[in-house]
Amino acid sequence: MSEQMSGVLPRGVTQKKFNAAVEKFRALLGEGNVLLKAEQLIPYNKIMMSVENAAHAPSAVLTATTVEQVQGIVKICNQYRIPIWTISTGRNFGYGTAAPVQRGQVILDLKKMNRIIKIDPEMCYALVEPGVTFQQLYDYIEENKLPLMLSFSAPSAIAGPLGNTMDRGVGYTPYGEHFMMQCGMEVVLANGDVYRTGMGGVKGSNTWQIFKWGYGPTLDGMFTQANYGITTKMGFWLMPRPPVFKPFEVIFENEADIVEIVDILRPLRMAQIIPNSVVIANILWEAGSAHLRRRDYTTEPGHTPDPILEKMQKDSGMGAWNLYAALYGTQEQVDVNWKIITDAFRKHGKGRIVTQEEAGHKQPFKYRAELMSGVPNLQEFGLYNWRGGGGSMWFAPVSEARGSECEKQALLAKRILHKYGLDYVAEFIVAPRDMHHVIDVLYDRTSEEETKRADACFNELLDEFEKEGYAVYRVNTRFQERVARSYGPVKRDVEHAIKRALDPNNILAPGRSGIDLDTYRTRRSAKSTASDES
Amino acid sequence: MSVDRRFVLKSMVLGGAAGVVLSRSVPVLAGVPPSHSGIRPALALVGSGAAEAAFLQGARAAAGTELPVQQMDRGLDCMLDFEHQLRAGRPMQVIGLLDDAAATLVLDLARSAGARVHWLGQHTAEAGSTRHRLLNADLAEGCARQLSRHLHACGAGFTLNEERQGSVAPARQLAGPARSGAGSVQWAAGIGSLLATLGTRPTMMPRVSVQGTLLSGSFVSFSIEV
Ligand SMILES: Cc1cc2nc3c(=O)[nH]c(=O)nc-3n(C[C@H](O)[C@H](O)[C@H](O)COP(=O)(O)OP(=O)(O)OC[C@H]3O[C@@H](n4cnc5c(N)ncnc54)[C@H](O)[C@@H]3O)c2cc1C
Repeated sequence: MSEQMSGVLPRGVTQKKFNAAVEKFRALLGEGNVLLKAEQLIPYNKIMMSVENAAHAPSAVLTATTVEQVQGIVKICNQYRIPIWTISTGRNFGYGTAAPVQRGQVILDLKKMNRIIKIDPEMCYALVEPGVTFQQLYDYIEENKLPLMLSFSAPSAIAGPLGNTMDRGVGYTPYGEHFMMQCGMEVVLANGDVYRTGMGGVKGSNTWQIFKWGYGPTLDGMFTQANYGITTKMGFWLMPRPPVFKPFEVIFENEADIVEIVDILRPLRMAQIIPNSVVIANILWEAGSAHLRRRDYTTEPGHTPDPILEKMQKDSGMGAWNLYAALYGTQEQVDVNWKIITDAFRKHGKGRIVTQEEAGHKQPFKYRAELMSGVPNLQEFGLYNWRGGGGSMWFAPVSEARGSECEKQALLAKRILHKYGLDYVAEFIVAPRDMHHVIDVLYDRTSEEETKRADACFNELLDEFEKEGYAVYRVNTRFQERVARSYGPVKRDVEHAIKRALDPNNILAPGRSGIDLDTYRTRRSAKSTASDES
Repeated sequence: MSVDRRFVLKSMVLGGAAGVVLSRSVPVLAGVPPSHSGIRPALALVGSGAAEAAFLQGARAAAGTELPVQQMDRGLDCMLDFEHQLRAGRPMQVIGLLDDAAATLVLDLARSAGARVHWLGQHTAEAGSTRHRLLNADLAEGCARQLSRHLHACGAGFTLNEERQGSVAPARQLAGPARSGAGSVQWAAGIGSLLATLGTRPTMMPRVSVQGTLLSGSFVSFSIEV
């Protein structure tokens, strides 16, 4: 094989070492599973973040098909100090997509490990490999007429349970908090060991996907949003398909209604009267999802002014806030809960309740109902056409499920976004106690000026929210180091101590969630350096 | 520009909805057929607007052959069909101009199907000017310059930023001032022509004459090979 010259190399790795590692990867995986050419790497570099693509350009992509190959890969990475960035289905749009956190990292794409290892329709769980998509699972369940229901993120069909759970993503059914429903992982550690969490270490155990905690420390969470291992299998619970599913929407005309909406909703969520991850989407999220485009309403630069939003509301029948929820169970259960819910909203007097019968096939109701009942669709990608230009970064602070808090966050976010000429495109995803306040920071990447503005805006959102004691639950790779700082130095020290213990050569995704042995100095080492110097 | 290499399009703007019609037939390009070397496109994916129509006309004119066309929407069935084609094991070259949503899906499906992407362009058109951000591989060498010459000839102002995947060089920045008033969808025809002949020696790009003004919008162009 001729000597290869790469424009992009992993940090601190010479061309010679890189070439030697590539030769080993080829021997292990076969030529076709080691991608180096620019045209093979471009599809991994469609980032939507406010930096040049070059900042997140991979040096190579590897595809593996077996756990043994993954073990072989980490061995080579240790030998040549090659940093590796793992993706499963790789659809992490708005959080960095498939690109690595740092320029030059080698992507390990596990899309070819795509076996549904097991679905147990009685115990209602699945065990899958990383490349399995929700569509694959959906087809399997349909073909085999299994009485089960999936929960997935809005990119549903094309995304996958393992990758989504590794980033602690959410869905819209009663099983919408995906990490909560995860049960048992298999992880290849940096030293090549294969670790099974929970009951997975017990020889002959049939409870790996049944009982989460196992014995002693429960470590599953440690591998999510982290860089301590490469997950090669994951179990998760599936919801039994209920005999009756009743989706509904409640439309609110005024932005200020958010306070009452949340306060009415919280007790209903806490008592499991409404059991699913409810969504409260604002007018612009609705508009984007319904495939409306900003330029059909205004071509003025800057944020979309309120009078236009009001006109959109009037024209389309969408609300300032649009709540989507569903009931699941037997007819009797649904009837009882439906009465409680309609009484609560009627008493309040403001919301307009829309049932499936009333909505028919109207969007966005249709796709929302599908998401809440485990039917894949791609409708929400319409958000990308609201402004256009290919820039999208999720700003997703956690909020208490308390009306006044949601309003405070909404007003703060809107003020900052408008200051930078961008729109407040938002939804709240409602758990009993917390809300994921998800805002799509949409901007035009063809404009250098707007890209810089979006970057400054995102920084200010992080800064100003932090001042109020808020932080995001997940963030794109450009801002992961910044967000790690919001969570305090002790947490970071602990995370780096674990990293040193498990991955001393820093080969697994250095920089993921701000964990990077090369750049992070613990408070203790910083202090001792300071005292050495004095 | 040689008359042989020229074709004329007229755009009709009908109360917001725009269409482009070919006002006279296109002579097959003189000289070496553009598909003589390089990759020959086998399929064009487009949406339904005027820019997409201009893209298609540009591509057809430059390719000098029939170019099958698939109208794309963001619907699940359409995307799954496309994925099926990508995975059918037949070598295929796909070019296209789509809106942001559809293009995001198409490109990521291409990634997971193991496709190669030689050109990825993000384009914004608005009052009298266009902006282009390209991410390219070697096969597209020289295309950014060619496109900038075309955009300059079109008369609308433009900015063009080109990153070469895997290059240590900083992004190339090109720009041209507006020389004539409104501008047109010629930019899209130019890109269609470039992508249809990617990897061949540079050809002159077709000119599009439009009635009506440049239509604002945001688009993604690509050349995918499986
Ligand atoms: C319109 C739209 C709507 C969206 N809605 C939602 C939503 O409702 N809910 C939601 O959660 N997200 C949403 N997203 C964001 C994102 O697209 C989804 O979360 C998607 O499921 C993530 O991609 P994936 O499942 O392919 O995971 P991947 O991209 O494969 O993985 C995600 C991350 O997890 C880590 N990882 C992956 N695999 C492994 C492994 N094997 N070992 C160790 N680490 C690993 C990596 O850091 C990776 O970047 C949305 C995006 C768009 C564009």
